[in-house]
Amino acid sequence: MPRKPVQKKAMSSQRKTRKQHKGPRIGVFICQCGTKISSVINVDELTEYAKKLPNVVYAENMNYPCSSQGQDEIVASIKKNKLDRVVVAGCSPRLYEPTFQRCVSKANLNPWLFEMANIREFSSYCHKAKPEEATQKAKDTVRMSVAKARLLEPLSPVELPVTKNVMVVGGGIAGISAALDLADMGFKVYMVEKTETIGGYMALLDKTFPTLDCSICIEGPKMVDVGRHPNIEIISYADIMKVDGYVGNFRARIRKNPRYVIAEKCTGCGECRDACPIEYPNYADMNLGVRKAISPPFGQAVPLTHTINRDYCIECYKCIDACGARQAINFDQKPEEVEVDVGAIIVSIGYDMYNPQDLEWTGYGKYLNVFTALEFERLILAAGPTGGKVVRASDGQKPHSVAFVQCVGSRDINKYEYCSSFCCMYTLKHAVMLKEKYRDAIDVYVFYNDMRSNFKGYEEFFNRAQKNGVKFIRVKLEDRRITEDPATGNLTVSAETEDGRPVSAQVEMAVLANAAIPHHTAHELAEILKIPLNKDGFFVECQPKIRPTDTEVPGIFLAGACQGLKDIPYSVAHGSAAAAQAAAVLNRGTWVVEPLVAKVNEDLCSGCRICESACGYNAISVAKVGDKDLAKVVEGLCRGCGICSSACPMDAITMPNYSDKQIVAQVQAAVEKVEKA
Amino acid sequence: MPLRKLKEETADSLTLQWVLHVQNYKLTLDKNRCVGCQICTLACPKEAITLQKQPRTSGQKARKAKADVDLSKCNFCGICDIACPYGAIKVSLNGKHALPVLEKESFPEFIRDIRVDESKVNAECLNVSDPCPLGLITIKSDAASAAVKVEVDKEHCPCCTLCEVKLPGVMHVRKMFSGRINIQTEKCPENCTDCLDVCPIRGALCISETDKKVRSNEAFCVYCGACKVVCPIDEALELKRTHISHMPIHSGAWNKTLERLTSPVEMTKELKTKGSTRARESVKKRVGLKVD
Repeated sequence: MPRKPVQKKAMSSQRKTRKQHKGPRIGVFICQCGTKISSVINVDELTEYAKKLPNVVYAENMNYPCSSQGQDEIVASIKKNKLDRVVVAGCSPRLYEPTFQRCVSKANLNPWLFEMANIREFSSYCHKAKPEEATQKAKDTVRMSVAKARLLEPLSPVELPVTKNVMVVGGGIAGISAALDLADMGFKVYMVEKTETIGGYMALLDKTFPTLDCSICIEGPKMVDVGRHPNIEIISYADIMKVDGYVGNFRARIRKNPRYVIAEKCTGCGECRDACPIEYPNYADMNLGVRKAISPPFGQAVPLTHTINRDYCIECYKCIDACGARQAINFDQKPEEVEVDVGAIIVSIGYDMYNPQDLEWTGYGKYLNVFTALEFERLILAAGPTGGKVVRASDGQKPHSVAFVQCVGSRDINKYEYCSSFCCMYTLKHAVMLKEKYRDAIDVYVFYNDMRSNFKGYEEFFNRAQKNGVKFIRVKLEDRRITEDPATGNLTVSAETEDGRPVSAQVEMAVLANAAIPHHTAHELAEILKIPLNKDGFFVECQPKIRPTDTEVPGIFLAGACQGLKDIPYSVAHGSAAAAQAAAVLNRGTWVVEPLVAKVNEDLCSGCRICESACGYNAISVAKVGDKDLAKVVEGLCRGCGICSSACPMDAITMPNYSDKQIVAQVQAAVEKVEKA
Repeated sequence: MPLRKLKEETADSLTLQWVLHVQNYKLTLDKNRCVGCQICTLACPKEAITLQKQPRTSGQKARKAKADVDLSKCNFCGICDIACPYGAIKVSLNGKHALPVLEKESFPEFIRDIRVDESKVNAECLNVSDPCPLGLITIKSDAASAAVKVEVDKEHCPCCTLCEVKLPGVMHVRKMFSGRINIQTEKCPENCTDCLDVCPIRGALCISETDKKVRSNEAFCVYCGACKVVCPIDEALELKRTHISHMPIHSGAWNKTLERLTSPVEMTKELKTKGSTRARESVKKRVGLKVD
C-alpha cells in the first residue's frame, strides 16, 4: 500500500483568524476585465449593491485585479480595512483562484478564506444581449458568494511525501527521451516495455525525414544509453498489471513475461540463434522476413537478451548446448511479478498501424504487390529481409513504377476521422529515396489529397521530391481504387481529380499510407491509471494548449504519439517536456494537496462502508481502529467530489468549506427575495 | 501485418504454406502415399497432425485414416518429413527440399539400409512380379548392353524386407523400425478384417485358413501402426515399436519423439547408451522411470 500521508500544519505560521464579535469583515473586489465584464454588467451598480450586503465592509470595482498591481491593491485594502474574508467577482476560479489565494495569503489571510464569484462566464459572456438581467444575475452570484464567505473557515494544506523514482511506460523514442532526461537529473527510472526491445517504431525505420539520416544509427546510441545508464532499469517483455496510489506515491505491479532466457546471464552473443533450426515470421520485419525461434527481433535490440518463442520452438535444446557454460537458457522460467514505488508516471506507449485489409478498394491482402508503408520501409532497409532490395512479392523483380496512395484509413469518417500527421512526410521520404536511388529507371506517383508538409524543413523536402521528378496527383479521397492484372501482377490505381476528371496510373507496385491508430493497450492502461481517452482512443491531456503533457491525474504525464500522433522530433520534444514536468513533482520532496478533501468524524462513523462503495477513486476505505470500524480517507486520492459526504447515512463525512451549512447559506442567498434593480 | 498462411486440399494432396516476401515455406502431403499410420502424429513436436478415421460404407473395405495438418500449429520444421516411413510428406523452402532440423542436428536422419547386390542381379530378376508391395522397385534390362538393372526408390521405402524374399541374394534390407505386433484373435470381432484392409504391406497381415481371423507376420511388418488406427477393439491389436534405426544424435526434440514413437523405457535405454545423464534424470523426475 502507498505510504501514509503526513499531515503537517504548514500554515501554522499564519495568523489565526481574528474572532470578531460583530462577525466577519468581508471585502468584495469586482473585476472589469478590460471591458469583457464592464461592457455588459453595470459594475458601479454591482459595487454599490455589494456594499449593502451584510458583513461587507468594503467593495470596489477595478480593472484586472489579477495583475500584480491589482493584487497589491487587494493586499493593501485587506490591511487597511481589516478584512478577514475576500470575495473576488470576476472570471472562472479554474483560471485564477490559485492566484488570488496566493494574493490573500500575502496579507496574512488564510488562503481558504477567499471565495470567487464568476460573473464573466456566467453573466457577461452568456447574457451579452441583456445587460440588465446580466447585472441582476451578477448581483445574485455575488450575494451567494458573500453568504458562503461569511461561513468560510481557515484550512491547512495536506502535504504528502514524494518518492524520487519514476516509471516510464513504453520505450519508443518519446519514452527514451523522457527516461534519459530524468536519469541524467539523478532520478531512478524504471522503463517498462511491452515488447522484447525498446526503440519503438523508430528502430524499424530505414531513414528519417527530411534529413534522410539512418534511423537506427541515430536512435541506436540512445537505446544503448538507456540500457547502460546507472539510473535506468529496463523492465522489458513486461505488462503493467496494476497501479495503486497517487502522486508521489504510486506503486505499480509489473509482470515480466518469461523469455526462457535469463537476462543476467545472456550476453547476446547469438550462438544459440545460430544453432536453432526453427524460423518463424518476424513481426519486426512486418512478417516479410523470418527470425529464429531463439533470437532478438533485430540486431540492435536493447536489451539484447534473446527470447524463445515457445509457439514455434521444438525443444531440441540445441540452444542449451550452444550456450554452454553461460547457462543462460531456462525452459522452466515462469512469469515473474515485481513491484516498483514511483513518484510519477510517464505514459509513452505510442501507436499501432492500421491494417487496411478491410478497405476493399485498396486490394491489400489480396493483391501481392500492394504494401503498407511500414512494409515498404522494411523492404528498402539494408538490414531488412530483402537486404534493401525493393522487389515485388509476385515475381521478386524490381518494380519500374510505384504508386503511393495517401490517407488510407485516416481522414475517413467511416474509419479514422483524424489526420495521421506523418504519412505525407514519410511518403515524400520514400518517393525521394526511390527517385534518388533509381533515377529515371523508376516512375513514382503520389496520389494525395492535401500535402501536409508543415514544420521546419518539410516544405523544402516536398520541393526536393518535385525536383526529383516525383509525379504528384491531387485526387478526391472518395472513389479511389486499386485493381490488379492477374497475369502480370501489375496494378492500376484509379481516382478522380478535384474537378471530377478520372485519372489513373499503371504501376508495378503500390504503397499505402495507412492510418496510425491508438495503441491496442491504450484502453487497458487508461483503466489501470484512471486517465481518460478521447473519442479516437488517444490519451487526453489536461489542457490542450498550455498543459499538453499533464493528465487529469496529478503525477501522471503523457509523452509522444499516445497523446496525439507526432513525428520523431516532436515526440522527442514531448518526451523531454514530460520529463521536466515529472521532475517538477519529484524534486519537491513533498506534494501539497488542497485541503478540500473529505473529513471523517470518527465519533459519528458507524463503519457501514457505504462511502467505500460510493467513492469513484478508491480514496475512502473502512478499517479497524481499536475495536471500531472507521472510514479513513487517503488524502492523495481524494478529489473532494463530496459523493461520500452525501452518501453517508450518519452525516459523519464533511467536505471542508463545502459543509452543509455553507451550501445551505448559499442556496438561501440564491432564492432570497430581492428587490428589482 | 498479417502473415499470409495458405492451406489447399485436392484429391491427391494437402498443401500448407507460409508466403513471406522472400521465403516460401511449404509442406506437401501426398495423399496417395499416406497410409494413415500414426508416425507423423507422434513425431510432430507441435502436435499439429491429427488422424481422422474414415467412415466405412457398408459392405466396403475399411478405409485408411486421413491425416490433417493444423496450419495454426505447424512451423514447417520438417520432422514429419523425416519421420514418415512412406516418404509421403515433403517440406520445402522456396521450392527446394529443406530440412534445417537435420542440418542443425536437432533431429536424426532415419536409416534406410537398403542395398542392391549388383553381382547377384541377373536376367531371372526380370521374371519376378511385384517385388515390392509399394511398387518402389523397378527391374529393367538396358536395351543396348542387355544388362539387368534393379532400381529402388529408397526415399519412399518403409523397409518391409519383402523384396529380400522376392529377390533372394539381390536385395539386402534392414528394418528401419523394429517392434512387436500381436493380434489377440479371441478379441477380434467376427469377420473383421479392418487391419488387413488398410495394411499397405502385402504379407504383413494375412487371414488364417483355420479360423478366418487376421494374423500378423513379424517378418514383413514395418510397425507403422496404420492397422492400430482402424482397429475397432482397443486391446485386440497390440503394437509396440522398440527401436528406430537412426543416425546418432543429442536432441531434446528427438528424445520426445522417440518416447512417443516407442515408450519411455525404450527411450531411456537409448539415453543410457548415449550417456545422456541429464536427460535421463529429467525422465526419472517426470515419469519415475529409472534405467540402469
